[in-house]
Amino acid sequence: MQPLILTISLVVMAVVALLFWRSVRAASKPPQQENVGKRRTQLIWGLVVFGVFISIASLREWPHAIASGEDAIVVNVTGGQWWWEIDTEEVPLGKPVNFFVTTEDVNHGMGIYNSDMQLLVQVQAMPGYTNKVTYTFDEPGLYQVLCMEYCGVSHHDMTNEFNVVAVDQ
Amino acid sequence: MNYSYTPQSGAVKFTMILSGAVFALMMVLGLLMRAAQGEWLDIEPELFYQILTAHGAGMVGTAGLSGAAVMWYFLGRHIPLTKAVFWIFLSLFIAGVVFILGSIFVGGFAGGWTFLFPLPAMSGGLWEVGAAVSFMLGYTLIGVGFLIYYIEVGRQIIKRFGGLANALGWQLILGRKTDDIPPPAIVAAAAVVIFNSIAIVLGAAVLVVSIVNLLAPEFEVDALLAKNLIYFFGHVFINASIYMAVVAVYEIIPEYTGRPWKTTRIFAIAWNVVLIFVMAIYWHHLLQDTVLPAWMLITGQLVSYFSGIPLLAVTAFSLCVYIRGSNMKWDLTSALLVISIAGWSVGSIPASIDGMIAVNKVMHNTQWVPGHFHTYLLLGEVAMSFGFMAWLVRGKNIRTLSGLDKAAFITYVFGAVGFILVFLISGAASVPRRWAVHLPEWILQDRVGTIFAALVVLGTLGFVVRYVLGLIFENQASGDQISGDQNSGDMSSGGQPSLGQKA
Ligand code: HEM
Ligand SMILES: [Cu+2]
Repeated sequence: MQPLILTISLVVMAVVALLFWRSVRAASKPPQQENVGKRRTQLIWGLVVFGVFISIASLREWPHAIASGEDAIVVNVTGGQWWWEIDTEEVPLGKPVNFFVTTEDVNHGMGIYNSDMQLLVQVQAMPGYTNKVTYTFDEPGLYQVLCMEYCGVSHHDMTNEFNVVAVDQ
Repeated sequence: MNYSYTPQSGAVKFTMILSGAVFALMMVLGLLMRAAQGEWLDIEPELFYQILTAHGAGMVGTAGLSGAAVMWYFLGRHIPLTKAVFWIFLSLFIAGVVFILGSIFVGGFAGGWTFLFPLPAMSGGLWEVGAAVSFMLGYTLIGVGFLIYYIEVGRQIIKRFGGLANALGWQLILGRKTDDIPPPAIVAAAAVVIFNSIAIVLGAAVLVVSIVNLLAPEFEVDALLAKNLIYFFGHVFINASIYMAVVAVYEIIPEYTGRPWKTTRIFAIAWNVVLIFVMAIYWHHLLQDTVLPAWMLITGQLVSYFSGIPLLAVTAFSLCVYIRGSNMKWDLTSALLVISIAGWSVGSIPASIDGMIAVNKVMHNTQWVPGHFHTYLLLGEVAMSFGFMAWLVRGKNIRTLSGLDKAAFITYVFGAVGFILVFLISGAASVPRRWAVHLPEWILQDRVGTIFAALVVLGTLGFVVRYVLGLIFENQASGDQISGDQNSGDMSSGGQPSLGQKA
């Protein structure tokens, strides 16, 4: 997912930069008579319509939906300065896993990384609250939990791991 | 436009020396962090996180300071402002900085510029309660200074325009006939006074609560509430710095294009929308706190997108229209001011994209985030401030970009673009932000980032030295004093009197 996000971002950023560049180049050209107000209105409506479309498309399925089916399993994760406690070492492949995440002291962030060190999903760990997030693993192997919220001097050492294993039906 | 008053130029010029110097110093701290992540430097994690805290607080504070100086200067053309207020503001600011620096580098405080509750109270033995309290007192002093500043600005605006609603252009929006249209600087100031005062008051509330909790731990604070207040304050405050500094663009660019920046109906609407949006957007910092009600997170996502519209379709679009066919000259001032709007606009894109909940799941708190905010700070607010500084020492005539100016400008922009791109690429490669020690596979990116960062520092030194030299020569030429000089400032720096002063 990240390469796609990066590509889209860079392309749109480049387009905006290019529009500025064209205006700068046009500074020394003779002024053009064009209907600025109309173009601005078009731009605003274009952005609004696109925004409505993208908002609906990206929120129709609630990104934080928690799996409630029969096969969903729960993994409790607790953070503390500076450790992660995960109440299981093995997580089943292909089944929705509900992570219930909290902390014993300050704010932390639970980030799950695959063996290529790609971040798959994250959620904050809040004192006094349990944040929930669902993820379904589609590859077996060793996964790491990294801390995503600054929590003091050993923040970068706050890691743990778990295995995703295939289970027989 | 009729400029009836004279800006307090001495105080502002002095403040911009301070801002420039602190920006440069804080950038060096940033460079050290980048070099440490790239293992070119050996910095202990304790010190790294202290530097991170100092860089964050120092940069956000200086952005606020320079933005406030820019706005004060130009408001001084439209309303009478009490001079002592600026000096009180500046004194409180400096006092606050002393508390903060002491807390970090003497007391060892490293709770981050966001002092996220309850980290300041739980350092794992690294710093004492006193250091955390000192940090928060420093913030409080700065906050009080800003409030005094806004009260004065708000008071004078109300006096002159008969209320904040008029100053926000409601007459225009409602289609009423009026010949007292507030200039863009006033519209911007009215909005900033409202939203940043609210932010500072809420920020002060969470500071006070945190201080009480530090001194009497049995006094409990709800961590989720504290987080909401802190991000509300932090987000609005840093945005306010840009919204104050952009006044330099409204007031200076017309000297170059020969076209006044007018308060139109759409301009007024945009600022009123900003006023609401800037306060509703902070939930995009909390998209991974799934205990929050869904409507808050949805608001965070929607406002992240839609607040781009006033920026792109009004500010950026208008600037492009004003530039086209204007035959404007390019000197350091105009180049920096134009790039500042471009950088702000471009930087808003990765920010909006990160504001989508689905994207945020894999980008939040990675280096994607410093990637986008450094864009609209380095190539936005800071570029506005440097552009303003260049204008202050420009003299009456616009000269074209000299060789040295060009070199500094290109070094700065090239360095900043590279520095930011590396952050974005690292973010997409899942490198977490705020990590003192990086994994071996991230080191190469860090090193490339370090090289670009060094260019930014170099360009900055060029701008700041040029500014200070400019002030010295200007003073030698006219025999002025830096402080207290009220009249000559506007003449020597107000540039081409043609448009501004005449019409
Ligand atoms: C040469 C210029 C700069 C360099 C080299 C630099 C470097 C850095 C680095 C390395 C970080 C930490 C990245 C991480 O989380 O891994 C950082 C964070 C930050 N920077 Fe900069 N920076 C520069 C300019 C600026 C400017 C101009 C501003 C604002 C006006 C700014 C504001 C911040 C803030 C607010 C943070 C977040 C601190 C935190 O996470 O607590 N920086 N910068
Ligand atoms: Cu952490």
